[in-house]
Amino acid sequence: MSRPGPLNTARVLFATRLAEMAEYRAEVVIWMLSGTLSLVMMLVWMAQAQGAPGGQIRGYDAAGFATYFLSTWLVSQLLVVWVAWELDFEIRQGTLSAKLLRPLDPMWTHYASHVAERLVRIVPMLVLVTIFALLSGARFTTQWWAYPAALGLAALGFTARFLYEYAIGLLAFWTESSTSFQELAWLVYAALGGMFAPLNFYPAWVQSVAVWTPFPYMLGLPAQLLAGKAGPKDALRGALIMLGWLVVFWFLRLAVWRAGLKKYGAVGA
Amino acid sequence: MTPSPPDAAVHVRDLRKAYAVHEKEPGFLGSVRSFVSRQTRLVEAVRGVSFDLHPGEIVGFLGPNGAGKTTTLKMLSGLLHPSGGEARVAGFEPRRREAAFLRQITLVMGQKQQLIWDLPALDSFLVNQAIYEIPDDQYRATMREYTDVLGLDGILKKQVRKLSLGERMKCELAAALLHRPRVLFLDEPTIGLDVNMQESVRAFVRDYNERHGATVILTSHYMADVTALARRILVIDQGALVFDGDLGSLAGQARAGKTIRLQLRSPVTAQALAGYGQDVSVDGLSAQLSVPRAQVSERAARLLADLDVADLTVEDPSIEAVMADLFGHRTPPAPAPTTLERA
Repeated sequence: MSRPGPLNTARVLFATRLAEMAEYRAEVVIWMLSGTLSLVMMLVWMAQAQGAPGGQIRGYDAAGFATYFLSTWLVSQLLVVWVAWELDFEIRQGTLSAKLLRPLDPMWTHYASHVAERLVRIVPMLVLVTIFALLSGARFTTQWWAYPAALGLAALGFTARFLYEYAIGLLAFWTESSTSFQELAWLVYAALGGMFAPLNFYPAWVQSVAVWTPFPYMLGLPAQLLAGKAGPKDALRGALIMLGWLVVFWFLRLAVWRAGLKKYGAVGA
Repeated sequence: MTPSPPDAAVHVRDLRKAYAVHEKEPGFLGSVRSFVSRQTRLVEAVRGVSFDLHPGEIVGFLGPNGAGKTTTLKMLSGLLHPSGGEARVAGFEPRRREAAFLRQITLVMGQKQQLIWDLPALDSFLVNQAIYEIPDDQYRATMREYTDVLGLDGILKKQVRKLSLGERMKCELAAALLHRPRVLFLDEPTIGLDVNMQESVRAFVRDYNERHGATVILTSHYMADVTALARRILVIDQGALVFDGDLGSLAGQARAGKTIRLQLRSPVTAQALAGYGQDVSVDGLSAQLSVPRAQVSERAARLLADLDVADLTVEDPSIEAVMADLFGHRTPPAPAPTTLERA
C-alpha cells in the first residue's frame, strides 16, 4: 500500500470495484443493449425524414437524425446511474448498516463502482457505436475539440445525475420504496435531455422550462456537440451551468443524507 | 449530561429508543383500509437502560427475542439515534458517527456484512486497510495474527461466494477487526455455525480480548458462548435492564434445572418417566425431562439402571429457559405428543 490517506483510499476503492465490475462484463454489455430507446427513436425519426418533403424535418435529414440519436445513445451510456436502486435495497433490507460502521461515507464506494463500470463499458460501447454508425449512415463531427468537450460535459452530467439519484434513493428512509421516484426522474431526464427528440422540436414553453433544468446540458448538449450542431461557446456555457447544478446537488444529497440517518431503522441487520 | 466514570469504555444512562411501526390487517380488505388510513403503533424497544463497562471487560448481554439487545447495540455503535438518554463509547457520542469513533469500534451481526461477494476476501481486507488507513506493517502483523488464530490459510484467495458459512464467518470477523477496535459489539457471532466453528470464534474473541485489552459486549443464544467468555452478565427484558451481575449469581437465581435427553431401545410412557423429573416429553423412542442441578447424577444413574437406554445426554438449560425461569416469561414448549407439566 502507498501512503495511507484519501488518495490511496480512492485508488484501492476504484481498483477493487473495477475487479468486481469485470466479473459482470457480459451483463454490462447486455445491459447496454437493453438501453436502446435512443436507437428506437432514431429509426422512427429517420423514417419520418425520408417521407417528409425535401427529405428533411427542421434541418435534420435521415443521416442527421441518425447522428443525433446515436450521439444521444453514446452520451446516455456514460450517464447510466443505478445508485437509487441499490440504496433503496440497502436501506429497506438494513444492509446499509455494515457500510455505516466504516469511517467513509458509503457514497464513495457507490461512486467508485459507477466510475469503474464506465471503464468496463467503454470498449464494447465504441464497437457498438461504430457498427450502428455504419448501418445508419451517421456522420459525427470532424471538429476534434468537440470530443473532449462532450466527454467533459458528460463527466459533469454523470456526477450531477449520480448526486440527485443518490438523494432520490435516500427517500427510502421515509418511504416504503424510493424507486418509483427514480422512474419519474428518469422520464423527466429522458424527455428534457432530448432522448425522444431534439429539444428544439418541443413546444416553446417546454423549451423555456427545460433551460432551467440540468437535463439539456448533461445529455442533449454533448450529443449536439458530437453531431456538430453546437459550438465551443455552447459547451463552455453548459459546463458552467452544470458546475452550478453540481453544487446544488452536492448540498441536496448531504442534507437528505443527514436527515435520513436520523430516521434509519437498521432493520434486519 | 451525567459525567461518565473516567475509566468507562461504555457509559449508558437512561438510554431509550421508541419507533412507530405500521400495522395492517391481513387480506385484501386490510390492504384497502391500510391504504386509506394507515395505522401505526409506537414500540418502546429500549426503556431507560443504564450501565457502565470497564476497558477490557467481556460482558454477556442476554434477553429473550425482542427484548431490546440488538437495538441497544445499534445505538451504541451509532447506527440508530436514541430517542432519549445518553451513551458514550470510548469517549465518543455514538450518534455523531465521528471517524475517530468508528475507528475504535466494530459491530458484528450475522454472516453477510462487509465482504465483497464476487471477489476474494483478501480484496475486502485491502479495502478496509485503505478505509481505516492502516499502515502496511500493522496490516501484515494483524493478518498474520488472525490467520494463525482463525485458520484463514487457503481461504483468503477464494471468491467469497464460494466460501462455506464457517469460512465466511471467519473472514467477516477478521475484516471487522482488521483495524483493531477497542470496543467490540458482537451480536450472535456464532449463530448457525457448527460446534467446532463456534469454539474457533470463541477462542478468537478470547484471544483478541487478552492481546488487545478490548471491551466486548456479546449477545448469544448459545449458553456456551456466554459461559466461555463473559464473567459479567446484563439481562434486558422488555426494553429494561433486569439483571447486572456475575454469571454464577444469574445461574443461581434460575430455577431451571438441566435437561436429560434419552434415546431408548424400547418405548416408555410419559407417566413412567414422571418420577424422574419435570417437563417430561416423549416422542417415539426419544424422550427428555428436566431435573434439578444437584440431582443430575442420581437421576441419570436411576434412568440408566431402570430403563433400556441406548444414549443419554445432559444439557444446560437454554438461555431462553433461564430467562423464562428468572423473569416469568415462559416460552412455549416445543410440540410433543405427550407432555406432563410439573410431574
